Amino acid sequence: MASATDQNQKPAVPELEGFSISRPPFLGYGLIASSVIGSVALLIYFGAWAATDRIENRALASGKVTELQDGEWWEDGLIFACPLH
Amino acid sequence: MTNPAYWLDRKFGLRNHTVAHYAWVIVAIAGVVQMVGAAIRMAFGVLVDPLVESFGWTPGSIGIAYALMSIVTALASPIAGYLGNRFGARNTMAVGTALFFIGMMWTSQTSAIWELYVAYGTVFGIAQALLLVPVVPAVAAWFRRHLGLGTGIMMVSWSLGPALVVQVLAVLFETVGWSSAFVIVGVVGTGILAFVLIYFRNTPEDANRIAYGTLPNDKPLVTEGNVFVSTQKEFQRFVYKTNAFWNLINIHFLGCVGHAVILVGIIPMAINKGVGPLTAAGVLTTISVISVSTRFITPILSDKFSAKTVMFLSFFGQGVGVFLLFTADSALDFYVFAVLWSIPYGGEGTAFPVVNRQYYGHFPIGTTYGWQLLGAGLGMALGGAIPGLVFDITGTYAWAVGLSAAFSLAGAAGIALLEPTRHQLIPAWPELEDGPIRATAPEENRKPSPEAGD
Repeated sequence: MASATDQNQKPAVPELEGFSISRPPFLGYGLIASSVIGSVALLIYFGAWAATDRIENRALASGKVTELQDGEWWEDGLIFACPLH
Repeated sequence: MTNPAYWLDRKFGLRNHTVAHYAWVIVAIAGVVQMVGAAIRMAFGVLVDPLVESFGWTPGSIGIAYALMSIVTALASPIAGYLGNRFGARNTMAVGTALFFIGMMWTSQTSAIWELYVAYGTVFGIAQALLLVPVVPAVAAWFRRHLGLGTGIMMVSWSLGPALVVQVLAVLFETVGWSSAFVIVGVVGTGILAFVLIYFRNTPEDANRIAYGTLPNDKPLVTEGNVFVSTQKEFQRFVYKTNAFWNLINIHFLGCVGHAVILVGIIPMAINKGVGPLTAAGVLTTISVISVSTRFITPILSDKFSAKTVMFLSFFGQGVGVFLLFTADSALDFYVFAVLWSIPYGGEGTAFPVVNRQYYGHFPIGTTYGWQLLGAGLGMALGGAIPGLVFDITGTYAWAVGLSAAFSLAGAAGIALLEPTRHQLIPAWPELEDGPIRATAPEENRKPSPEAGD
């Protein structure tokens, strides 16, 4: 069995025998970017759906037309950001 | 006919194992740290009603503290991993223990909602990262081989800790009130953590011992000194250049969204289908209990075979399994789902230390693992928000179930795109030897040497 050894016996930087990774990890970047974009899109879509429902409910309660009902800043923002709502 | 015991012995090399090794003390300590560190997070649900009764805060505003804690823990994870690499897991966890104590005491004295956000959401969130992130790479350092076995045993505590602490907290809330319960759990938890850290050692060399699975002709690994620090920086740059580094963060994120939807939504889903609250709670308990088996076995299988294949099967099973919920409308259906789904779910996150070893060898994975837990934490936060959000809009959980499947299957696709685990992606971590310290590069990444002739 090997035993624990004095760790400072060779204070040199290891020789890496010419190791290199020349190409950037485009696949990794792409996959993580697609997950981030997909998740943000999902939150915007459902957030805008919820915002539309809330505005419609308030309009119904106050007897206004939905288009004339004011939304909260975040409701307007989500609806603006979502191309489907 | 083959004797099964002989087959197991041959297949898994059981004669090579021993319980008389300090690595198992480290695994046990890691299990205790994980139990104490993660349990209060898992037990948050027990805290909501007492706070509503005491202060009149809405469940939604109290829930923000949980969301904040999840996000703070996630964001602090890479830093906690770096600190574990740089200053040692023991020192990092000691700071985490101090913050755990402060967070628990402050939470117990909370009288305003902002205090809950700071004490529980921020202080406790950072404490959790400092306790939970460095401990896994530290356990890895104690295993030269058979890391899967050590990881499997440690990961069992992920299920047992919350199961135990939820019961303890429920009894304490009932008998002494929520504030005193936090004081008691804070003091006892801190005492336990401080006690086990006395016996914790970052590396086998710190304890003047050798790592589990070390063979007689293995040379000791570099674990301290200037070479350790400079090589770590250099190797970490290599790690950042691998697709696997980015993809594994992504995969952990996707997998955690996939199962967080189910873990948060399964009880309301069952109740929505007419199942009684107690029976519905039993579905979640069934998932917790059965997943213990695959939490244990998945790292071992990953170590023995290919971590990539085992992870793919877990993610695929987790994604396909939720389709059972589209037709579930009785208690029996939900329990059948719980039994079948918990098998792949248990294996979803537990193979990461092993796949890191297969890709990066004995390189200290603290920072790398911390980044992966950042993905996991954000995934848990997003997945936890989906069931309630989607149900409020659509009046059904079908969308949430579909999204859970989509995220898990996207994770499986991500795993399929990972590099093969047959070869390391970076050079082998340097060993101490008589000549210059050398780190051996994998064949496929070596530049042609200028001296080498054709």
